[in-house]
Amino acid sequence: MEAVIVENLVKRFKDVVAVNGVSFKIVRGEIFSLLGPNGAGKTTTIHIIATILKPTSGRVLVFGHDVVREADIVRKKIGIVFQDPSLDNQLTAYDNLYVHGRLYGLRGRELEERILELLEFVDLKEYANKQVRYFSGGMKRRLELARGLMSNPEMLVLDEPTIGLDPQSRAKIWDYIRELRRKYNVTILMTTHYMDEAEELADRIAIMDHGRIIAMGTADDLKNMLGSDVIYVKFDREVPEGICKVLPSLRDCRKIGVDTLELLVENATKSLPEVLSNIYVNGYRIVEVSYKRPTLNEVFLHLTGRELRDSLESNPLTQRRGRWR
Amino acid sequence: MDLSPFIAMVYRQVKRWWSARSRVITTIVNPLIWIIFLGLGWGAVFQPGSINSPSIPGIPVNVIAKTIEEYFNRLFGGVDYITFMVSGMAAMTVFMASFLGGISVIWDKQFGYLKETLVAPAPRWLVITGRIVGDSIVNTLQSLIIILLGFAITTRINPIGIPVALVYLFTTSIAFSSLGVIIALKLGSIEGFQMIVNLLTMPLMFMSGVFYPVNTMPDWMKVFAQFNPLSYSVHSVRYWLTGANVGLEYMNPTIDIAILAAAAITLLVVAGWAFNKATVED
Repeated sequence: MEAVIVENLVKRFKDVVAVNGVSFKIVRGEIFSLLGPNGAGKTTTIHIIATILKPTSGRVLVFGHDVVREADIVRKKIGIVFQDPSLDNQLTAYDNLYVHGRLYGLRGRELEERILELLEFVDLKEYANKQVRYFSGGMKRRLELARGLMSNPEMLVLDEPTIGLDPQSRAKIWDYIRELRRKYNVTILMTTHYMDEAEELADRIAIMDHGRIIAMGTADDLKNMLGSDVIYVKFDREVPEGICKVLPSLRDCRKIGVDTLELLVENATKSLPEVLSNIYVNGYRIVEVSYKRPTLNEVFLHLTGRELRDSLESNPLTQRRGRWR
Repeated sequence: MDLSPFIAMVYRQVKRWWSARSRVITTIVNPLIWIIFLGLGWGAVFQPGSINSPSIPGIPVNVIAKTIEEYFNRLFGGVDYITFMVSGMAAMTVFMASFLGGISVIWDKQFGYLKETLVAPAPRWLVITGRIVGDSIVNTLQSLIIILLGFAITTRINPIGIPVALVYLFTTSIAFSSLGVIIALKLGSIEGFQMIVNLLTMPLMFMSGVFYPVNTMPDWMKVFAQFNPLSYSVHSVRYWLTGANVGLEYMNPTIDIAILAAAAITLLVVAGWAFNKATVED
């Protein structure tokens, strides 16, 4: 049975379409990741799944319950860790979990034991009575993971779980996420703009851009879209018309960006000499050549013509509209 | 009905207050400044005994001074000005502190904690009621501190009246904390909130009888005072603490509590409604 069914989800904010006809299903017990640049509509999508935003149109079911009409039931079944920290800095770690537990209707011994168990799980037991404002970013994140698990949810929603953390803390959070899935048997829906994170954790990945899902599958499925090797050829001017026709047998050949050509081949080391000589023979000048085994970044580049990294940094407009992420 | 979410929020507000005790000092210092400077400053004016009074031939100066003092004491309900001020200040402390609760709603909005409460599977009105009640407990405690400090300044406070006065203060706090929450939920920024609150608190404060009696106010001001819940709070708290009955003729402790309770319930319902409509979008 599916944990989440999303059908034709659309969310419009005034004149901006943040989510534009998204559909996907999440299987119980899997880690499902929405991957995409800032402003792609990931956060909006999971906010709708978590019942804190209402969809403009479309249907979302979480464990068979409609997120609009049965919001209260859905809220009981999920735990959520928001992208921005949402702890009470003036309370201790213990009290943060205590208040959360009570908000979710836990009480007494059961509540107390749960708090201690989860503090132990995220290795914060010795800091239980310290105020959260003295915690490092990684510690806060771990505490939020623990808080998300307080109500024993069937699904945990993680919005950019390692954003702003140093590499060691990130690796540690990944360990906790893998471990909590094993130990607490929860379905996990996460968003990320880190390709390594999606690849590392997710069973299945949906790549989002401009409010749409442009590809979905396991990391291997996605990379296999590109075959075994990708060659990038950068010209000294615009990519010449009809260049693909003069090149030898390729799996795919397309223009990405103004001056860059993407070639999919079985074996780059063997194909490269022939490709290059064909280009020279036709009188074109090459500025740069590179080839790689495809990663999710190449997949994203293949699908959108933009690098995932670039679209993170180069577009201040979408960054300022961060709240739609 | 599961009251757990309500208790969660009461616990949170009280615990936060307790963990930031340095802030408690700020909330107490402010009314103390009013009491010390305005209270002691004006208090001496209304007690002309120590100063040279105008002399009328044939009447001894001390008799004139005595008469003037009695006149003022009658205006202040049979107590001296400092007692009058201190008892009113108990209500004002709650009033001012109540709006600070609104600021903490905006902080929660900005620090993301509001989302945490919005996504909880608990009735929203119960969550916000817990929050307002928690704040009100804190505010009432702060007011109690002011009352106790009042013992150092005046001997006219009746200790037996304190518990009753606290009930009135708590009700007052529910009303104004709800108002603060409503304003905070409608306004996104601290700046906007502070502007509205400043525009609101000063007139409400001056038209409540904290600093001077309501019954000697100009008629137009009396009209406003009648519609100001704080007037009833000041009147009743002063009545229970000092026995002074200074207010409009129809005011009495029963009417006071009825009006305060009505204001509290109405504003609480509106706050619940506003919180119900709150989303993470704004």
